[in-house]
Amino acid sequence: MKTILNKFVSFCLLSTSFLIYYSALAHHAFSAQYDADAPIHLTGVVVKVEWLNPHAYFYIDVEDPSTHAVTTWACELGSPVTMQRQGWTRESLVLGETVLIDGFKARDGSKSLNASSVVIESTGQKLFSQQARQPNTSK
Amino acid sequence: MPARRTVISFGIVLNLSVSCQLCIAQPVNASGNSYDPTTPTPRFEDGTPILGPTTNSLGFWDRGSGSMVGGASYPPAADIPFKPWAKALYDYRQETLAKDDPHVRCAPPGGPRQFAVPFGLQIVQAPHMQRIYFLSGGSTRPWREIFMDGRNHPEYLNPTYFGHSIGRWEGDTLVIDTVGFNERFWLHRDGFPHTESLHLIERISRPTYGVLHYEVTIDDPQAYTASWSTNWDKLWSEGEELIEYFCQDNNIDQFHMMGNESNTQ
Repeated sequence: MKTILNKFVSFCLLSTSFLIYYSALAHHAFSAQYDADAPIHLTGVVVKVEWLNPHAYFYIDVEDPSTHAVTTWACELGSPVTMQRQGWTRESLVLGETVLIDGFKARDGSKSLNASSVVIESTGQKLFSQQARQPNTSK
Repeated sequence: MPARRTVISFGIVLNLSVSCQLCIAQPVNASGNSYDPTTPTPRFEDGTPILGPTTNSLGFWDRGSGSMVGGASYPPAADIPFKPWAKALYDYRQETLAKDDPHVRCAPPGGPRQFAVPFGLQIVQAPHMQRIYFLSGGSTRPWREIFMDGRNHPEYLNPTYFGHSIGRWEGDTLVIDTVGFNERFWLHRDGFPHTESLHLIERISRPTYGVLHYEVTIDDPQAYTASWSTNWDKLWSEGEELIEYFCQDNNIDQFHMMGNESNTQ
């Protein structure tokens, strides 16, 4: 129970921090597009990266473990300008990489989300974190 | 009303946290560069304050010191002298979570909005041309021109996003008088309305190397019962150039603005 509570508190803190950061820097209001009450966790393979303004997007293929049906999700990041200033580049995310995504679903029901956390499954490296400036060491 | 509460409560958290981030972060910018915060106001040989980079420095105006989106600072809605229709429109924009903000559709940020959008602001003074230019790093990467040659506003103005701006120095403060705005932008993401009657007086100064102080008086007799003012600081980002940004490049978001409606469940 304590573990669940700790996880919940951590999630809330991370989510709050992300939402604050996003809202301060993004060119649109987060809550007009995404639902902060609809968190989502996905594991998928990166199939496309759009390192473009106003927001970078990447796309992942997510396989349903029971039916093996594959669904493509669009994942929104911050602006390339902001991420570049923090040391990230479009090569930080590599096609074919399996990533773990935490984020928030789009309000319109489309297969899209705003990614608050992007972690490379094989290395555990967290990408596009705004907490500290990091050099791009992914590839 | 639930959506409105969300906006308000989120705004409170946002205020606290962004203020905190700014306290901790300054004067180190997003790229990890820093400067001596006691550095005095840079000046031209004739003593006029330099509002942008100096000969030997790089940088631009980045985040604002205010607690609202873009680092702006506005009075509480209860203290703003809205006319009834303007208050109703403001309330609608709040309740729909700013989904209709023209900035999301890449409209240029007129008036004080230019001082509260992401990705930086550069100021270029051209004394030989008697003009000052405000260059936005974000949005549509637009620029605004301030005439410093003593001219008056034209008798007829076709309304535009940035209007017609004439400036003068009052001591170390640049005072800008602007009219001729269109209604196709918001003064801030919060959604304060305005009309083509908008008349702005902006006062801009650089009290130290790292701070640009921005004050604006908003006079719009069609939207407000009296003129009202606000101010905030812009903070210097040392050692960086503006990075290219065009809102139109891949603006997918504009097609997904739902406000407080939701189909996710």
